[in-house]
Amino acid sequence: MAGRTDENIPTYEVANVNTKKIHVGSFGHLWRQNLSSCELSLAEVSGVDLEDEELATELDCTADIATEIKSLCSVDALKSNEDGEEADPEIIPEDSCLVTLSIRNKIIERRKEMAVDRAFRQEVFLHEMESCGLGARPEDLSDMVDEGELVLTLEVFHPVVYQKSNGNKPNVAIQVLGTQKLTELRDAIKCVSDLQIGGEFSSNPDLAPENICKDLFKSAFFYFEGVFYNDMRYPECRDLSSTIIGWSESHDRGYGKFQSAKMEDFTFNDLNIKIGFPYLYCHQGDCEHIVTIVDIRLIHHEDCLDRRLYPLYVRKHWFCTRKCNVCNIYVAKWVTNQDSLAPDDPCFFCDVCFKMLHYDTEGNKLGDFLAYVYVDHGTFN
Amino acid sequence: MNFPGIKEDCETFLGLFQATDSVRYEEFLTIWKQMKFNTIFHGGMRNLESNRFSRDLFSVVSVFFLPPYTFQIRVGAMYLLYGLYNTQLCQPKQKIRIALKDWADIEQFHQELVTAQHLDAVYIYRQLRRMRAFYFTGMPITLNFKSQKSIIPEDGNEAFLDVKDKISDLITTETLEEIMNIQEHYQKTKCHFSADKSQPDRSLSLIREDFTDNLQSLVEEFQLWKQEKKAPRTKTDDEQEGTSQESEASERARHLAQIKSKTYNAVTQAVKSRRHRQVQMVSAPTEVETYLPLSKYQKEKLKKAERKAELDAIKKAVTPLPKKKPVNMAAIHEEDSSSSSEGEDCIRTVFTPAVAAIWWGITFLDQGCNLRGCRGCDRTRAQEV
Ligand SMILES: [Zn+2]
Ligand SMILES: [Zn+2]
Repeated sequence: MAGRTDENIPTYEVANVNTKKIHVGSFGHLWRQNLSSCELSLAEVSGVDLEDEELATELDCTADIATEIKSLCSVDALKSNEDGEEADPEIIPEDSCLVTLSIRNKIIERRKEMAVDRAFRQEVFLHEMESCGLGARPEDLSDMVDEGELVLTLEVFHPVVYQKSNGNKPNVAIQVLGTQKLTELRDAIKCVSDLQIGGEFSSNPDLAPENICKDLFKSAFFYFEGVFYNDMRYPECRDLSSTIIGWSESHDRGYGKFQSAKMEDFTFNDLNIKIGFPYLYCHQGDCEHIVTIVDIRLIHHEDCLDRRLYPLYVRKHWFCTRKCNVCNIYVAKWVTNQDSLAPDDPCFFCDVCFKMLHYDTEGNKLGDFLAYVYVDHGTFN
Repeated sequence: MNFPGIKEDCETFLGLFQATDSVRYEEFLTIWKQMKFNTIFHGGMRNLESNRFSRDLFSVVSVFFLPPYTFQIRVGAMYLLYGLYNTQLCQPKQKIRIALKDWADIEQFHQELVTAQHLDAVYIYRQLRRMRAFYFTGMPITLNFKSQKSIIPEDGNEAFLDVKDKISDLITTETLEEIMNIQEHYQKTKCHFSADKSQPDRSLSLIREDFTDNLQSLVEEFQLWKQEKKAPRTKTDDEQEGTSQESEASERARHLAQIKSKTYNAVTQAVKSRRHRQVQMVSAPTEVETYLPLSKYQKEKLKKAERKAELDAIKKAVTPLPKKKPVNMAAIHEEDSSSSSEGEDCIRTVFTPAVAAIWWGITFLDQGCNLRGCRGCDRTRAQEV
């Protein structure tokens, strides 16, 4: 391989944590150079087993040897035991010498003792997410992902830890294609702060505006390796990074020179990044999400091959929804402060309970309180 | 890692494979069946668990498929990947991750397989690629920027490492030859300056004249000692294996004898120390059955040895279990504590399992593959006869 010392072959900067800086597109190019078209192919795998003659030519041996190798190395031989029978995959053989199995056995025993398997629902959800889109092929061939394209897996963290953290901060994993623009990821990142509705509406709750923050404040940026990529697609967009760049330059804070670029002009292939390194997504002025590129690889024929389904969520965090404090059935829509009628501050209500408690039949406000529209984190579940 | 036991099981497997002293797929298959290794996926894992288990398994085995592990271990790891890939119960099958930085090593490994005509291994490698069993990735693992604490230090298995023999590195046949040449030249020059042209002046005698001979016999002695150290296991009654060991020793001796004979030759011939390169110089292959060279007799011997080894393996695998219990409990402990200790990461009890293969008492000091059935080794043996 000529590119042995190529700087775009990822190597560790910090072992098991992050790599040195690479150019994403060049990395993809290096892989494609080293592989045959057969391996890059997105067609279904067929004819894995060569004909004897074909194999003999390939291995430069006689047909007899080729036949012998083929039958010796057959997949079926791996699946059967010494008597040529296939064991039941549900059952762990009693005489097993494998450490893994004796441990699994104990886990199964423990699971049986539990009346309710609580992990089950969560697992089903995670598995559905993980296998979402797998094997999908578009009807229209123009929507097909190209051979040798790169798939990047990004983890996007939620800005605040709402729930008790047990080491895992809530985050989502999203797959994007190397040829996709940064703005496509930006539009796919869902955050409750985009859905907020500003203002206090205790006097006339029915007049709460429909306009969510996402439509009002469209600026956002990604930060990767010294470059701020600003979303400048709309006239009302502002360069949010200019303040940061100005701050950095005015005091010579030792951060070097930052650059700014337009998010809509860059695809992931154009980026210079370190795999595993924490970067930033910032929107709504100060809602900051850590973004990490956890994996880059070539597309595989069993991946989702429908371009339109990317960015593709492969893992979501399951947020517990906040229920109404009165009925404890419906999801909270309102939150009140300094509420003379409520036991807690803040207190959460569903739409029905909120209005029933705080207003008379004519719609007149009862008691003192401040009311805000509440957007639950479970909205995206 | 979420699945304790994987590493132990894989190391036990590779230890057994190493004990066969072979790279034949047939040997692999025998161990696979004896250990019922395909049942490692059994026990009704749910989908998500099953996917994660396969991925973990591949990431453990892939490490042994790469340097610095010995050629034989790498072949064994490749067979294991093939076996596990094809017997996993996931739908679709989980893939084996290959990082770009490791690709050159894998391609070279493939070349070595082809050159040494390990046809079964070549076939398995190509099948894996034809099946498109690989993800061509940036890094061997996904990098989640987890807290440093959760990263388990990689502890390699020393018994499988391609051991670098420092003495052989330092004194190769080439350097020994060079030293002899210099000594010869030095001696001549001294004669030239002396009154008596046939032998150097006594005042010029600053080093021991037999120093090169001494060095040579020391090196020779060391090589023999090394062979003997390996011998106990193979000495038994397996003649064939005995000769393979002998050939190794006698090959060294032959090399040294060669040097002796041509020490005074002006021309220094490049010494091919790596066998696979030597093979390249040989033209048409003579024996067709190189890839399956085991006689019935040998096979029986091997089976016996294996059965004994397997028994040991089971003993080893079963006895340390009570000790490993904490691994199991640690996960629960962690969950429990996280709810009580405010955000503070609890200490993760990481068990570094005792290296299984050390029990076999097998150490390979030599760098060559020295495997039965290796075309390269057979060739050198044939040349000697
Ligand atoms: Zn946000
Ligand atoms: Zn309610």
